[in-house]
Amino acid sequence: MGELKLSKPYLLQASDLTTEDVKLIFDKSDYFLKHYKRGEKFDDLKGVTVAMVFFEPSTRTKLSFDIAAKRLSADTISFQSATSSLTKGESLIDTLHTIEAMGVQMYVVRHGKSGVPQFLQENTSGVILNAGDGKHAHPTQALLDSYTLYRHFGDVKGLKVCIVGDIIHSRVARSNIALLKTLGAEVTLCAPGTLLPRNRNIWDCPIIESLDDAVEWADVMLVLRLQRERMDSGILPSITEFSKYYGVKYEHFTRKPELVLMHPGPVNFGIELDYRLSTYPNCLIQTQVTHGVFIRMALLSLLGRDL
Amino acid sequence: MNLLFNDIRVISPSQKLDTRLNILVKDGFIAEMTSSAINADSQTQIVDSKDLVASPGLFDMHVHFRQPGQEHKETIQTGTDSAANGGFTGVVCMPNTEPAIDDVTVVEYIKSKSKGLLTDVYISAAITKERKGDHITPMIELSDAGVVLFTDDGSAVSRADVMKLAFEYAAPFDYLLSQHCEEHTLTKNFAMNDGALAYKLGLKGYPSIAEEMIVARDLMIALYTGNRRYHPQHISTAGTVQLIRKAKADGQRVTSEAAPHHFILTDDYLTSYDSNYKMNPPLRAKSDVDAIIEGLKDGTIDCIATDHAPHSLHEKHVELENSPNGIIGLETSLGLSLTYLYHAGHLNLNQIIEKMSVNPRKILNLESIEIKVGERANLTIFNPELEWTVNKQLFKSKSQNTPFDKLVLKGKPIYSINNNQYTECNL
Repeated sequence: MGELKLSKPYLLQASDLTTEDVKLIFDKSDYFLKHYKRGEKFDDLKGVTVAMVFFEPSTRTKLSFDIAAKRLSADTISFQSATSSLTKGESLIDTLHTIEAMGVQMYVVRHGKSGVPQFLQENTSGVILNAGDGKHAHPTQALLDSYTLYRHFGDVKGLKVCIVGDIIHSRVARSNIALLKTLGAEVTLCAPGTLLPRNRNIWDCPIIESLDDAVEWADVMLVLRLQRERMDSGILPSITEFSKYYGVKYEHFTRKPELVLMHPGPVNFGIELDYRLSTYPNCLIQTQVTHGVFIRMALLSLLGRDL
Repeated sequence: MNLLFNDIRVISPSQKLDTRLNILVKDGFIAEMTSSAINADSQTQIVDSKDLVASPGLFDMHVHFRQPGQEHKETIQTGTDSAANGGFTGVVCMPNTEPAIDDVTVVEYIKSKSKGLLTDVYISAAITKERKGDHITPMIELSDAGVVLFTDDGSAVSRADVMKLAFEYAAPFDYLLSQHCEEHTLTKNFAMNDGALAYKLGLKGYPSIAEEMIVARDLMIALYTGNRRYHPQHISTAGTVQLIRKAKADGQRVTSEAAPHHFILTDDYLTSYDSNYKMNPPLRAKSDVDAIIEGLKDGTIDCIATDHAPHSLHEKHVELENSPNGIIGLETSLGLSLTYLYHAGHLNLNQIIEKMSVNPRKILNLESIEIKVGERANLTIFNPELEWTVNKQLFKSKSQNTPFDKLVLKGKPIYSINNNQYTECNL
């Protein structure tokens, strides 16, 4: 595998990845999954410093990247916008250059504004990995979701995946749509009208109006988090109505036991998802988290090996 | 220094003039204009002009010179330097300064800073105090101080009742009311046009209807209050063009302007997340760009105006969504218009000059420029065929926020002449 490389030397969005890239990443993840032993480390990133540059709160993505980097023997540093000089008025570019001057080669970036990883990549010689930018992209989440499906079903091609919930504000939805389509899955969307794009066909994903029909159709329900702050903007009449018509219930799954459930987390149980589903056998939420580490190890290894 | 242009093509649409002549500019006046040879004295610089055009001085009725209040972006001095370098001998500066131009004191301040410059600085004033949209400004006093139009540019007068009052107050004097057309409740936190790409890029969109509903509303109010004069600024959508076209056909006294970026660039450029493509109104779809060009061709759009909006590099070189809106335009406007309208076959040179000089002056009731012996020389000399590469380092503007750097254009300003001064354009 020494000669194999991703087609781009960074990861900004899911559409940066070709099917060959994804195969490479999945193979590498398989390798790490198979060979990782507690207490042992791989030396793929020995001598490389990875900065976790998070301008937005995150638990799982940040921890997952941090563990992945450490398992590859990288040095990691962490940056939190709330405690940084940004609060003193330092610009984003300045912050980047400051971290760069300390000898960092890779940057795992999360930011509340869309396009920031691309903006930073254009202004650094280091490698940017997008850990979520605004409403734009969250490519590693999409990779770990597809990887989870690949491990569960053996192939993503031809799978019927319905994405449910707050599509319009979701970077997870955007990246999953792009990646799942690259891998040949069929994707549909199910959401209230104010949580869908105005141009309904921009992603070429059919809209399924009722959740019951969606469950009927799908092999996989990918449920999105509903951010409570959406209520304040008046975009939904009430959480109760949302939950009643777009919340995924236990009954949906007792009706169709083979149906697979995924959610990028953190889950609002009782709003978009019935709490009883957390222990349902085909609920892959914890598997997604576990796979996330191996996917990120694979990406860090593939993007960091020549640094 | 006097200038002799030998065998220059003189185009002055208002005089129905399009012919080759020799012109001697002496002491700020057109001293001679003839087809026979003119003898030049030692004080006269002779310009080989067989490839050049002389037109009435170009006029941009929409610029932001940022003074007073934001002198780090631009000043009246650097703004007019930039204008002259781009071939413009007259501009109208917008009122969104700090403080806003809503009071005679600010008008007098700008006038004092504009004295003795090559480029004439005309002044617009706000429709409402502090551009807050609530109380109309002392329009009569402002007009007496020299203000040529009223607008809250930078934002719209949101309230219909206030706009109606403004039209009514302006009525006895027939002042020109102009509008930055934006329904603000639909554009909160926008970063680009509201289209498929906005959803893909995860950016908040600015729908075309946000512009159109203000245009439609104002056209109704203007008509209702007695067919008042109305000028929507920097129009950007096919729907707006259609609204104005219909209003004109119905005899309404409406005029309009469009900026070069709106007849050249589409919102596809936002995929770069480059803040030099972020402006208000935003870049639109191809169908809108086509409609703007069509509007320029059929006269729906009277003027080309740049919306010259300087911002410093440190303000623009940030996260796209945090970047201020706007790009500079004075030093690329003529080249872009010649390349994308004249050479693209949409407008002839007479029409370009009408849109960039004759019409804006007419809309503002300014004296029309005559190119004839004895008149003050207010001229732009340009080479319509010369190819050049935009180099923002050469700009005289204090800011460099342009998406057109390194673009190859065909057609370039050569001299700006006005107020017994001339600038050799260096671009």
